[in-house]
Amino acid sequence: MDSISEKHIENGKTQFLMVLILGIITVFLSLFAMGQGSSSNLDMMSTIKIILGLDSATELQSDIIWKLRFPRILMAIIGGAALAVAGSLMQGCLGNPLVSPLTLGVASGAALGAAFAIVLGVSVLPYSHLAIVANAFLFSLIVVAIIIQLGNLRSISAESYILVGIAITFISGAVVSTMQYFATDAQLSQLAHWSFGSLSRPDLIQVQLISIAVLGLMPTAMKWSWDLNALSIGGDEFAISTGVNPAETRRNILILSALMTSIVIAFTGLIGFVGLAAPHMSRLIIGNDYRKLIPCSAIFGAFLMVFADTLGRTLFAPIVIPVGIMLSIIGGPFFMYLLLANRGGKK
Amino acid sequence: MKEIIDVTNLNFSWGNNHVLKDLDLNLKENELVSIIGINGAGKSTLLKCLNRILKPDSGEISIFGKELSNVDLIELSKHISYVPQSIRSNFSMDVFDVVLLGRRPHIQWRIADEDREKVSKTLRYLNLEEFAFRRFDQLSGGERQRVIIAKAVAQDPAVYLFDEPTSDLDLKNQIEIMKRIKELISVPESSKSALIAIHDINIAARFSDRILLLHEGRIIANGTPQEVLTRKNIAEVFNVTSEIDNMQSDYIRIIIKDEIDENKKTNKTVIL
Repeated sequence: MDSISEKHIENGKTQFLMVLILGIITVFLSLFAMGQGSSSNLDMMSTIKIILGLDSATELQSDIIWKLRFPRILMAIIGGAALAVAGSLMQGCLGNPLVSPLTLGVASGAALGAAFAIVLGVSVLPYSHLAIVANAFLFSLIVVAIIIQLGNLRSISAESYILVGIAITFISGAVVSTMQYFATDAQLSQLAHWSFGSLSRPDLIQVQLISIAVLGLMPTAMKWSWDLNALSIGGDEFAISTGVNPAETRRNILILSALMTSIVIAFTGLIGFVGLAAPHMSRLIIGNDYRKLIPCSAIFGAFLMVFADTLGRTLFAPIVIPVGIMLSIIGGPFFMYLLLANRGGKK
Repeated sequence: MKEIIDVTNLNFSWGNNHVLKDLDLNLKENELVSIIGINGAGKSTLLKCLNRILKPDSGEISIFGKELSNVDLIELSKHISYVPQSIRSNFSMDVFDVVLLGRRPHIQWRIADEDREKVSKTLRYLNLEEFAFRRFDQLSGGERQRVIIAKAVAQDPAVYLFDEPTSDLDLKNQIEIMKRIKELISVPESSKSALIAIHDINIAARFSDRILLLHEGRIIANGTPQEVLTRKNIAEVFNVTSEIDNMQSDYIRIIIKDEIDENKKTNKTVIL
């Protein structure tokens, strides 16, 4: 094998190692996070022993880990991974680095659904807690259906998807604002809480179902990585000459990412920043090759979410700051630093 | 020579602008054919119709005897590679990985050693090895153009469709790239051919086996450079006076003299 090919393989190995290290850090952070909290602090070894069933924990310790913290941390990992992958897929297939999972209006649809349940008490499900989740999910699926319809149009461009998404966001926002105008204080407070985004809402069964759905969708994302490479690097004409149908690929990828986003935010409420920042942070580490970017984004998303949630839980304990807020406060400046540091020296 | 592409009665319009009118064309193996014409003559449109980027209004296009629209896009990209003038994008990759995209029609997901070797060989062939691990977006316009050409070469198609492949290149690189393209399609056992939309008629004259002169949506001359690049044709299509230098043994040179003043031709008075 010649020297150029060898260097390419070598570069690939280095990048794999970096992703692996990030993955290991995320696992340890998660185990550490499971031990932290306002009610009872456990060291990492005790947590591992309890999870693996090696240690006879007290009933209280066991309950805290299995009923409170494990679902929460698992939700952080799965939610962070899903939103980050959805963001990276959307950015690539729309050729736009400003896009996040919220751009297409899926989240605004979910917010509208939640508002219907909270303010008007109208829901597809009668149970109070699940009523909001079910509505949020259903309304975000309506946005997915709009995306599918758009994809069937003959000459829909990447920009049109984004503009329609912005229009959906405005329309949903206007309806939600109208409902807020007439809502009671209690309803307003509940709506505000929903929109903060929190990982404490889903229980273990729900988190397991979300995990199965997200993990089931991930391989499909990986399958499209070559197509995404062609689309994101060279645009539609370049993609066609590489054997990729841009319209079909874009539609399929948008549906997939919208579904992943819906599944997560219906349960957690609005969490936006991770879907924008994690893909870009990953790009800085391993570049734009989607065969590596998708797994790296997933791990980075999980890392950011667990990190932000743990800080939110512990920083002002016993007050818990919702993860959506923490992500933006901690992640925002870090994201800006990474982007600017990579722009090179001063002018 | 075996025919690779056959086009009959091709029509294409942008709205009310009828760009290609009942156009006929064929491309045989081991042939380098240039399309020349003024801006807006339909050169790029024609290339894009041949690669299914644009859908013609009517007409038939066949490749290896198969109707183009019936060929699966992956299969088509093994036969045809279209090289745009430039690509603009918000994301970037190493040059090696951009060229590796040329192997995409041939692989499922995993990159085989042969694919890497093919990319390495192509980079060396086009003198791009020093750029292999530089970011594509940090290259100059000309370097990027050569990388996109390298991607097409790594794709190993039967037909190359080049849209102005030398527009961003310096003089040396223009000659070098055209020589490489000519070499690629001249290998008798390779059965390759190239259709090139180009503005530089001297490059076209030097490297083409055949030139198509596209004017107002129709091919008004089709033949060897000597047959097509006449003073009369050049004046009619490009509105310039010229001299043809036949002194070179193997190719003609065209010296452009001056524009033909449209106002004098039509006795129009121009008030500035």
